[in-house]
Amino acid sequence: MVKGRYFFVGGLIVIIGVVLAVTVFPSEEKRVKKRFRLLSEWVSKRPEENPITMLQKMKDIGTLFLEPSELKAPNDSLSGSYTRQEISAYAGSARSHFSQLDLKLYDLNVAFPEKEVAQVTLTARLIGKFKTGEQVDEIHELDCLMKKVDKKWFFSQIEVIEVLKK
Amino acid sequence: MFLIRVCLVSLFAYFFFGYLCIPFTIQGTSMEPTYPNGGVNFCWRLRYLLSEPKRHDVVAVRFAGSQVMLLKRVVAREGEQVEFREGKLFVDGREVVESYVRFPCNWNLASRRVEKDSVYVVGDNRSMPIENHHFGQASRIRVMGGPLW
Repeated sequence: MVKGRYFFVGGLIVIIGVVLAVTVFPSEEKRVKKRFRLLSEWVSKRPEENPITMLQKMKDIGTLFLEPSELKAPNDSLSGSYTRQEISAYAGSARSHFSQLDLKLYDLNVAFPEKEVAQVTLTARLIGKFKTGEQVDEIHELDCLMKKVDKKWFFSQIEVIEVLKK
Repeated sequence: MFLIRVCLVSLFAYFFFGYLCIPFTIQGTSMEPTYPNGGVNFCWRLRYLLSEPKRHDVVAVRFAGSQVMLLKRVVAREGEQVEFREGKLFVDGREVVESYVRFPCNWNLASRRVEKDSVYVVGDNRSMPIENHHFGQASRIRVMGGPLW
């Protein structure tokens, strides 16, 4: 009976240790995914968002990117290289047209082709409502290149993959 | 014995519904009236295991994974020339009768050849302007399967 209790307590300590280790020292994949969660959170907009939150989110979005970062989109004039300020300004301007915006990310596949470089493919769905009342529902596959600088992951390149080519 | 049965059934259900017969909800009107918005169906992954998608087949086209897919109809296969004239589909210069298209359509699209290992997919609902409809050629490897019904 006493032996059984020792096993139980021992097992509990091991489980707590593993949970703590995973929480306190997350894997690189989790760190990368966390950056995507932040991007999704900061791009999304609630109808009641106040101007201060809007400005803060606009600034925060820029901090996720390396300077400069590249955007590649097929047949799109947005393709090019951008500084953090330009990204923040563009994100702010784009968000201001919406009364509600929700960025949902699916099927994140993270690979590490080189040291301190991560390649992430995912499906991004943008659902929103323009201030004019028009609905938006856009889905794209994205191929993102991320680089680790000072123990933090930053977006270096985002490419929009053309799934259906007209 | 009961626990073993429960485990086996759970394992079977996980693999069957997770990889072979994936349940999905239709969101959007691009396949109406054949597949209405809000309908529920399953993507049967083995449909094209031993065969290739044929013209008029309805297929599920994946993005980065299986969580989001497009439900579309194959209208042309690799090497074929596809075009729209006043809403009518032409493949290799011949008009194709499409009984599943019920809404009026006035699309015009210049002729283009479907690339190797690709299929040309379009939705059944073509009542919207052509620029608002998600269609085009998809790589064969993106075709995940077809709806169960």
